[in-house]
Amino acid sequence: MLGFDPKIFVQDAIEKIKTDVKGKVILAWSGGVDSTTVAALVNKAVGSRLLCVFVDTGFMRKNETEQMQELGKELKLNMKIVDAKEKFLSALKGVRDPEEKRKICGELFIKIFEKVAEDFGAEYLAQGTIAPDWIESGGGIRNRIKAHHNVGGLPEKMGLKLVEPLRDLYKDEVRNVGKALNIPKKIYTKQPFPGPGLAIRIVGEVTEEKVDIIREASFILEKEIEAAAEKGKIEIPWQYFAVLLPTKSVGVHGDVRAYGYTIVIRAVDSIDGMSAAYSKISHEILQKISTRITNVLKDKVTRVVYDITNKPPATIEFE
Amino acid sequence: MRVLVVDNGGQWTHREYRVLKYLGCDTEIISNTVPLEKINADALVLSGGAPRIISEVEKLGYCKNYIENFNGPIMGICVGHQLMALCFGGSVAAADTPEYGKAEIIVDKEDDLFRGLPKKFTVWESHNDIVKACPNFEILAHSINCPIQAMKHKRRPLYGVQFHPEVENTEYGYEIFENFLKVCKR
Repeated sequence: MLGFDPKIFVQDAIEKIKTDVKGKVILAWSGGVDSTTVAALVNKAVGSRLLCVFVDTGFMRKNETEQMQELGKELKLNMKIVDAKEKFLSALKGVRDPEEKRKICGELFIKIFEKVAEDFGAEYLAQGTIAPDWIESGGGIRNRIKAHHNVGGLPEKMGLKLVEPLRDLYKDEVRNVGKALNIPKKIYTKQPFPGPGLAIRIVGEVTEEKVDIIREASFILEKEIEAAAEKGKIEIPWQYFAVLLPTKSVGVHGDVRAYGYTIVIRAVDSIDGMSAAYSKISHEILQKISTRITNVLKDKVTRVVYDITNKPPATIEFE
Repeated sequence: MRVLVVDNGGQWTHREYRVLKYLGCDTEIISNTVPLEKINADALVLSGGAPRIISEVEKLGYCKNYIENFNGPIMGICVGHQLMALCFGGSVAAADTPEYGKAEIIVDKEDDLFRGLPKKFTVWESHNDIVKACPNFEILAHSINCPIQAMKHKRRPLYGVQFHPEVENTEYGYEIFENFLKVCKR
């Protein structure tokens, strides 16, 4: 099988960016595999004409913003961090519909990028859009499964021209491109994390309380799974995260009634995210995650469940 | 070898393009509204898609014309397979139990498509409708919930598969495409 040659892809992509992009560029940078790979590509093509913009939505995982600052320095990127925590939280107040949530987040991102572009004098917006983003966002006869923020959130008339060199690739191919570009291994092997972040890992309305709960639950789950993988007890899943359900149920904590939310453990094995099988994590590890989440989060979480659905019929994320 | 993927709006249309590309084909995704006379290809793959065969055939553009008049091998996938049956007088219907995700298919006849593959293997599915019967075609595989998982025209190089060989979770998906390409090279 001929497959895919990341080195040739890198050469062609850099040439194309050099030819197409004449002015300044801002990059929508989340610090994930896709946008960091684009950062490295565009950086090679246009150098200091690139500004990487990281938006702190307030829906980031634990310590993520700090880690981004360090990564930016490590990669020697021209970087700007925008604090938009208040904006995102207030925009989502009272919103329960998952597509509405995604749309609001997408539009907020674009507004922020347009402002930064104006200040920086950029004409181009580079994004880490990959094939599943536009496929799942639909259009024409293709049904919309979910509006990815970088596709479905774009206004019809946008002042910025898009630079999306990874549009035709899947995650496994992007990892190989990232590796060929010598970005750190911890980045090109990083699990996917959606643009709207923890906001779409809270089913239904997003509140500050729920964000705090899901952030802690996600942290515990990630640490336990990574620890188990380091000890060789499991293969690290393609993606693994916690989801907060608004369903409340009864618990008993120190002989006292408790009434808290439900946390779902979601872990899947996949190559490209377009189809996936739920990970067969051992009960020993699941039990450890369940005990830690319920103990650390006290009466906020009274139940932990494991999602055993493949894609299809489910999607990997809940919203 | 130039093999085009006709887009019927599937989630996995681009996966078909990827598999063909990985197998060394000259390939592109084209709209199902491209007139047949503008198509320059050795073979076609008709993708799956959201349109329901039982009520939305018009959304499949010129696919019927391709099936009837294209001069070369065609592999219809999912709704592409169902349309193939419809073109040759077969019957299609909503499945009593649709299949989404993991399923097992049983190979009834190895023929070209399943050459060298096991008699049973895991595939990934995503369909609401099925082909119930199709004259002029031979059944190559079935599953518990779907009587025709794969079929082949008795005289022409037309193949239909209800499952999705282009998806990573399907076992032997690349091999099925390779087998189809061997037919194309004849």
